[in-house]
Amino acid sequence: MVNGYAAASLREALEIRASRDVVPYAGGTDLMIENRKGVRYLFLNKVPELKAVAVDDRYVRIGAAVTFTEALACPDVPRLMKEALSRIAAPAIRNAGTFGGNLGNGSAKADTALIEVAADGKVCLASAEGGRVVDVDKFYLGRKKLDLADNELITEILLPKKGLEQYSYEKVGGREALAISRVSFAGVFAAENGKITNIAAAFGAVADTILRYKDIEAMLLGKTVQEAKGLKADYLNAYAQRMTLTRGRVSAEYRKRVCMNLLNGFLTKFGI
Amino acid sequence: MDGIRFTLNGTEVTYGGNATDRLLDVLRDSYHCTSVKCGCKEGECGACAALIDGVLYNSCCVALGAVSGASVVTMEGFRETERFTALEKAFGEFSAVQCGFCIPGMTLAAEALLSKNPHPTEEEIREGLSGNLCRCTGYNAIVNAVANAAREGDGLW
Ligand SMILES: Cc1cc2nc3c(=O)[nH]c(=O)nc-3n(C[C@H](O)[C@H](O)[C@H](O)COP(=O)(O)OP(=O)(O)OC[C@H]3O[C@@H](n4cnc5c(N)ncnc54)[C@H](O)[C@@H]3O)c2cc1C
Ligand code: FES
Ligand code: FES
Repeated sequence: MVNGYAAASLREALEIRASRDVVPYAGGTDLMIENRKGVRYLFLNKVPELKAVAVDDRYVRIGAAVTFTEALACPDVPRLMKEALSRIAAPAIRNAGTFGGNLGNGSAKADTALIEVAADGKVCLASAEGGRVVDVDKFYLGRKKLDLADNELITEILLPKKGLEQYSYEKVGGREALAISRVSFAGVFAAENGKITNIAAAFGAVADTILRYKDIEAMLLGKTVQEAKGLKADYLNAYAQRMTLTRGRVSAEYRKRVCMNLLNGFLTKFGI
Repeated sequence: MDGIRFTLNGTEVTYGGNATDRLLDVLRDSYHCTSVKCGCKEGECGACAALIDGVLYNSCCVALGAVSGASVVTMEGFRETERFTALEKAFGEFSAVQCGFCIPGMTLAAEALLSKNPHPTEEEIREGLSGNLCRCTGYNAIVNAVANAAREGDGLW
């Protein structure tokens, strides 16, 4: 085909990626809007290795070219992820949009990336030379900047199989109406023997990258819910100090207040 | 170089242009499928909907290379089916069509919904049509028409 390569296997896709100047194309829902001129696409929508969901002993492994609709129909995909997926746009977009494309776009508004950051998810990258696995939060280097080499493709997203049962997910302002002002939040909570073992909190669409502050989370790790209650004011204050948000269509102060409310709601939900 | 082969409304075609071309433009300009409307080119309005291997897509968000080997159906093909007749009748009875611009997309979205879920609730119909904007009807007539088509056309989907 003219100005395009259709790969039938991952190996073929990686060879083309290494030897030609191509833009990976999965569902096209970001690329076709960008409408870049003079590019050649590497079509990934028929690469079987990128279309599967698998489960190993630790992770649910979602292929980069799995669409949101396919993931919603898959019993292995965690409920937290499905909640975010079901609130993405409308059926025709969910039928096309993929996990790899959502990350590949590099946007802090990417709804599946928010879940991956909150869930300590990982992204698998491959080139013709080999593969590597990167924490999703480290994959984002800055605004629209990703730790992705020119010869690499995203192949899989890994989500932990266990530990995502208790969560909060909120998306404020639908994309259609309020794309620029929206805020999204995902929190994951876990406790063992009365002690908090996870209290991940991630904020999307409010800064250049998805925000998560593990050092502030550490204040409450290992504490009982009662102890955490006592530390709540300090903990919230630490977030308020740290968060510097970009101005959208609404003021940064307003967005921050929404973030703090969502964070507070998350703590309250789990008794803190 | 080989062209891009796909089936359009049941006929095999070969497109010799760029793989990066927008399906919406190619359907309208090269294949004269003018039922496929351009309302936004941003994936927001659903007027450009087409079925690709039975799945609903916005053709403004699809590059030609992605339909290589696929079966593409637009209203020009769908109107030959019994299912279309059932939807057309219901849309008529419920006065669900005003200017008509959104209707090809609405109809294909209804077809995509009913082929997965032949007896949807009102909420499911609204969700199924949520990517299709209509400037005229206020949606209720369309939702009622789809519900009626599902009832009257029982067994077709
Ligand atoms: C109307 C509309 C509503 C939307 N609503 C939402 C929403 O609510 N939430 C949300 O998060 N997003 C939304 N989006 C954005 C978009 O649908 C998502 O970001 C989607 O996940 C993109 O996936 P894709 O497969 O279509 O990506 P593509 O457009 O195919 O690709 C996007 C980017 O990723 C790169 N890429 C794709 N696959 C790979 C890979 N395997 N390896 C390396 N790079 C790759 C591409 O080169 C490109 O730069 C919306 C878009 C539209 C048009
Ligand atoms: S023209 Fe494609 S969704 Fe509006
Ligand atoms: S009937 Fe006019 S846009 Fe729907």
